[in-house]
Amino acid sequence: MADDAFKPLLMGYLDGELTELEILRMEDHLRGCAGCTSELEEFRRLKEVTQKMRVVMPDDKYWEIYWSNVYNRLERRVGWILLSLGSILLTSYGLYYVIARLLLQGAIPLVIRIGVVALVVGLCTLVVSVLRERIFFSKSDKYERIKR
Amino acid sequence: MNLSEEGSIIERCKSGDREAFGSIVQKYMKPAYYVALGYVGRPEDALDLSQDAFVNAFRHIKRFDSSKSFFPWFYSILKNLCMNHLNRLHRRREESIDEMAEEEGQIPIPIETTDPETSLVRKDLEVKIGQALAHLRPKEREIIILQHFQDYSYQEIANLLGIPIGTVMSRLYSARQALRRELERMGVTY
Repeated sequence: MADDAFKPLLMGYLDGELTELEILRMEDHLRGCAGCTSELEEFRRLKEVTQKMRVVMPDDKYWEIYWSNVYNRLERRVGWILLSLGSILLTSYGLYYVIARLLLQGAIPLVIRIGVVALVVGLCTLVVSVLRERIFFSKSDKYERIKR
Repeated sequence: MNLSEEGSIIERCKSGDREAFGSIVQKYMKPAYYVALGYVGRPEDALDLSQDAFVNAFRHIKRFDSSKSFFPWFYSILKNLCMNHLNRLHRRREESIDEMAEEEGQIPIPIETTDPETSLVRKDLEVKIGQALAHLRPKEREIIILQHFQDYSYQEIANLLGIPIGTVMSRLYSARQALRRELERMGVTY
């Protein structure tokens, strides 16, 4: 079993990432610690085995179009926002127009008028609630649950 | 590109210069891919998520302090997207009775050997290592991919992930230990 205090240094020693002073300290420790010496050997074997291995990379053609893909997504997002805004505006106006006409017509029974008012108030409440939630989340740190 | 050059490019991005953002993307697209691959395992998903993360980063670039390095900030966005992706997969899997039989989150990391004369035994080992990696925690996979398989120096990893070199070493220790244990459990000798 490796000595806890030397475990991180063991990695630096294996990968040639230590300063001269740290190397001397590590080598001094290794002379007297069988646990660290045997762990170092096992890690060395693993490193040798994986030395020529690489994670599979996408073809070069993917890297060539990578930025244009990001660019297209950026552009599309603006398009979607404008499309959504336009739809919201037109739908809201249409709804307002239809509801105003419905409520002002004396021939429409009271129960239907009440139903329409309840529907509109319910819809508005839901929209406001969702908006409030979104605003609250945008103010708090979205990434706070991620440990660094 | 040093930190101050990066800072001035970020300032241009803040004023909406998309072309400037292109040079940031070119610089970090590969590390972004490795990080995402460490999380999700599938190269196509890793590419897709890393691109989405750049889009989100550009949208929120005004919130970023340009005196700091870009990648650790971007890394949080990417990690969040990967976690959401995994959560969605997990939920979908829970909903599907057939797929529930499959072990969760174990998409083998695709590994290949750069040596052209690769034996069948070696090929098998690549597959086994990829499978073993899939059983590690994302944080362990990520550091193994960066250091073991892509040869990033400790300093580069520390800069990329925004962590001290001491943390790089201790994370690497536990990741390698976990990989060794997993290979042992699978009965792989090397």
